Amino acid sequence: MKDRAEELLVESALRPLDDRERAELHQLVPGGDPSFEAAATAIVLATTPIEPMPDHLIAKIMAAAPQPDFKRTLAGVSAPLGHDTIVGVALESFKPPPVIDIAQRREARKPRRAIAPWLAAAACLLVAAGAVWFAWQRQPGSVADARAALLASADAKPIAWLATADPNAKGASGDVVWSTAQQRGYMRFVGLAANDPRQFQYQLWIFDKARDDTYPVDGGVFDVSSTGEVIVTISPKLHVTDATLFAVTVERPGGVVVSKRERIVVTAARS
Amino acid sequence: MLAPNRTSQPDSLLGRVAAGDPAAVRACLAQYGNLVWSIARRFEPSDAEDAVQEIFLDIWRSAGGYDPARGSEATFVATITRRRLIDRRRMRARRPSATEQVADLELEAPNVPPDTTADAAKAADALGQLRPEQRRVLVLATAHGMSHGEIAAQTGMPLGTIKAHVRRGLISIRNALLGVQQGEP
Repeated sequence: MKDRAEELLVESALRPLDDRERAELHQLVPGGDPSFEAAATAIVLATTPIEPMPDHLIAKIMAAAPQPDFKRTLAGVSAPLGHDTIVGVALESFKPPPVIDIAQRREARKPRRAIAPWLAAAACLLVAAGAVWFAWQRQPGSVADARAALLASADAKPIAWLATADPNAKGASGDVVWSTAQQRGYMRFVGLAANDPRQFQYQLWIFDKARDDTYPVDGGVFDVSSTGEVIVTISPKLHVTDATLFAVTVERPGGVVVSKRERIVVTAARS
Repeated sequence: MLAPNRTSQPDSLLGRVAAGDPAAVRACLAQYGNLVWSIARRFEPSDAEDAVQEIFLDIWRSAGGYDPARGSEATFVATITRRRLIDRRRMRARRPSATEQVADLELEAPNVPPDTTADAAKAADALGQLRPEQRRVLVLATAHGMSHGEIAAQTGMPLGTIKAHVRRGLISIRNALLGVQQGEP
């Protein structure tokens, strides 16, 4: 009896049992015994030489991976965030009115001969602006404020971006500020080309002195929808011990695990 | 979107994948991509790419079922990987072609990711205690997914011998993992 049970347990670790074998095993060992499959898996882990997965396969898998279902959208910037950063609020389901351009708003406030329609329009704009402001206030604090607060830290000094010859970087400027102690930071861009997230996205890479330069830390994927000033929160996926260089690349939607560095738009080196 | 599962831990990588964190999906691929690819290359040298894509879909779907109390994430990922590869082999009922013959089956130094399992190291030690032919047969059956018939074709050993090697060998590794006193392998 024990021999047969063992035989079936060994076989079940190597292949799916047929119906009759399953019924027999269930009778002999009603609760089953996962230790045989665990032994087979341990042998796999102990004996499989590790090879790198091809880049094109990584890209295919990422393209089929689950997409983020929560997104924070600010004026000019939308960056995917983890669920733990937004408690119970799916901001995408909140539909704020379109972002109002301040210059356009001033224009709308100018007196006109046919005053009533313009007053109505201005009122609408004010309501819309109020809604945007309300939406902004729902954030734990504006990104600009958070950046300003971080700049007060002793180890967080802004480093100016150096634009490359990439067409998306033409005329781009701004800076990056990073605090090692707090493990957070912000990127500020002015003039970086807006992207269509369906076509490509930007991705930050942080080169850490404590790590191999071949594999910089992924600082997060982000979008830019305006060439005006935008501020993006850095979302490093690993602890950064000593950041020496920040680089932003153009990548496929969703980002990549390892960048081919074919299109680098800006860099910022720490002296 | 994947639904969170009661057994997954929000702080674990797989727990975060189950919760729909896109950064965790990337991190999971970075962490276990090479492992899954390498296992698949052994099981299906010519179809490893298709297999790996299927496996990662399985991993995204099953991430919520990961329970840290039952083992490491690497073991969970390797178990899903192996099950899917076994299913694929059986569905195709194909034998390894001449180019897929396994040339070198000497036990290599454990090539386990650093955060993997003590179990893998124990298994490596226990494999080292087996006779070379028994170890060879056991690795072919478990890490290459070969059937007894395929192993017989590969090694020239009788089916009965292969079956006995696999059975005794696997029980021996299992006992080592469980800390059970070893009998005659």
